[in-house]
Amino acid sequence: MTQPTLVASHLTKVIGKRTIVDAVSFSLGPGEVFGFLGPNGAGKTTTIRMLVGLIRPTKGTVTVCGHDIQRQFEAAMRNVGCIVENPDLYRFMTGRENLEHFARMLGVGRDEIERVAALVALAHRLDHRVGTYSLGMRQRLGIAQAMIGSPIVLILDEPANGLDPAGIREMRELLRGLARERGMSVFVSSHLLAEIELMCDRVAIIHKGRMLREGTVAELISSRREMEFRVDDVARAAQIIAAQGLQSRVDTDRLWVPIEESEAPPVVAALAAGGVAVFHAQRHVETLEDLFLQATGGETVG
Amino acid sequence: MIPLIQNETLKVLRRKRFAVVIGILFAIQAIVTYSQYRTLKNRDTSNWRAEIQQRIARYQDTVRRGRVAPTWVSAMRAEVNRLQFYLDHDIEPDRPSVPLFVRNFANVAGFLLLPLLIAVLGSDIVSAENAEGTDKLLLTRPVRRWKILASKLVTLWIFATLTLLCGALLCLIISTPFLPRGGWTAPTFTGFRLSGSAVQLEGVHQLPLWKDALIAYGLEWFALSCVAAISLMLSVLFKSSAAAIGTMLASLIGGTILTRVSPDWTAGKYLFVSALPLADYYTGTPPPYEEMTMAFCITLLAVWAIVTTAISFAIFTRRDVFG
Repeated sequence: MTQPTLVASHLTKVIGKRTIVDAVSFSLGPGEVFGFLGPNGAGKTTTIRMLVGLIRPTKGTVTVCGHDIQRQFEAAMRNVGCIVENPDLYRFMTGRENLEHFARMLGVGRDEIERVAALVALAHRLDHRVGTYSLGMRQRLGIAQAMIGSPIVLILDEPANGLDPAGIREMRELLRGLARERGMSVFVSSHLLAEIELMCDRVAIIHKGRMLREGTVAELISSRREMEFRVDDVARAAQIIAAQGLQSRVDTDRLWVPIEESEAPPVVAALAAGGVAVFHAQRHVETLEDLFLQATGGETVG
Repeated sequence: MIPLIQNETLKVLRRKRFAVVIGILFAIQAIVTYSQYRTLKNRDTSNWRAEIQQRIARYQDTVRRGRVAPTWVSAMRAEVNRLQFYLDHDIEPDRPSVPLFVRNFANVAGFLLLPLLIAVLGSDIVSAENAEGTDKLLLTRPVRRWKILASKLVTLWIFATLTLLCGALLCLIISTPFLPRGGWTAPTFTGFRLSGSAVQLEGVHQLPLWKDALIAYGLEWFALSCVAAISLMLSVLFKSSAAAIGTMLASLIGGTILTRVSPDWTAGKYLFVSALPLADYYTGTPPPYEEMTMAFCITLLAVWAIVTTAISFAIFTRRDVFG
């Protein structure tokens, strides 16, 4: 087991009497992309602000590469690149001046600026003022500044915001590449479930300040594998299936049975024998969205 | 630390705040130079003695009628004595000239204009980052927060110094074509002290104008450094630069009014505004409260600077940064 790069343990933030974040714990290893999902007001941004030392946790600790963020801030943050909420850069300066500004804070050279600008394909607009950039370009500049100094942990809040579909795809490939080729740990919050599903190795779902589920995408999804049957008489079909000793969930024209694909043919045969017409039998793979809606009780994602 | 100061300096320049400050200084000095030039042209210098005597009579008349506040009375008495002193020594005071113009800038602008300009520069330095959301990037770098604030304070001091220097330099450049140039070594008299209604003359000493100007600018520089520290605190406390500038403006004007309106409320001497016109007190304008010696004023300003800086650091290094 390799050493984890980013560890949050029992992170809690209480403001007044309200508990905004309640005992959130997770850890990231090298080369891993971790997705953080939650509806508006779930405590996502507060958690991220605690991860990067902007907010002091009421309880709990954040450790980056073995350094506590509260007690060894400099050592910890040397390994972190981040964007918190919007990529707010200095609009009155050019992209290059912005990158130089942050490079100076880290004490790294100018060749680093060329490197990170090339990484996000922004070299051609680097000498324009950031005020003239589109949101997508600012997002890319935000990633570029986060990459200065080659951090080990990358923390990105909604990195797909403001990007067009091609840009989202580029971003996804960039982040996956960084994790795979350089062994970086990437922490991403997003409201685009499909993105998280495509991009992340592991996902945590946060709701009302608490972590509801955590696991690999495959784990979370395969934990509820079902077969879906579309039939002419749902009530009768349910009876037949119950007679086989199986449970089922029913809808107006279909029902779901928690069995593997290989166990489906006998069920289909039983239904046909019982006079139920089966139009369609398919393995139903739950999407992250289903999971998310179940976990949060159907609240909108944001 | 140097790279941080470099960053902050670049941001102040890129925000164009300093350009605005220089523009304001230029506009004001151009107008004042012109008015001085007109005065000089229209005046008959042959009988300056008569003119000074007239001024003295006018002040004495006003004081005798007793319609003005006690602080004004003592200011006028001091002025009368100063003018009389020049008369006695047969030296024409206040004749517009380049050196005098440059020297007087320290007094005239030092009280309201320069502190306000420093407030304009200073109020942005933290609160603008907060308003624009860039503090999130600034504070998530491997640099401790106190270092970031310290670099901002040093940058503010650099610009306070630059503002004062540019003010003096602009005075020199603008007035040189219009006013008489000589007189840097002309004698000036300082050290008039008022005790009760009598002016003590034993402390009065003669200095060449350039030396006198250096002292006035030195005092002014000290006062502005303290204003810089105070406006840094306002910038830390307020999220918007407008609120920070507004508070500074209100305390400058409000504090002055307070000392004029209720001179009996002696706690007013502990306001930083009371001690701010250091250069004026040095020249001979009596402070609003009798106990305010030069040493008291300097100590008071230093205490204000230290306390406000301590508050700035305590808040800035501890607070949670929300959106």
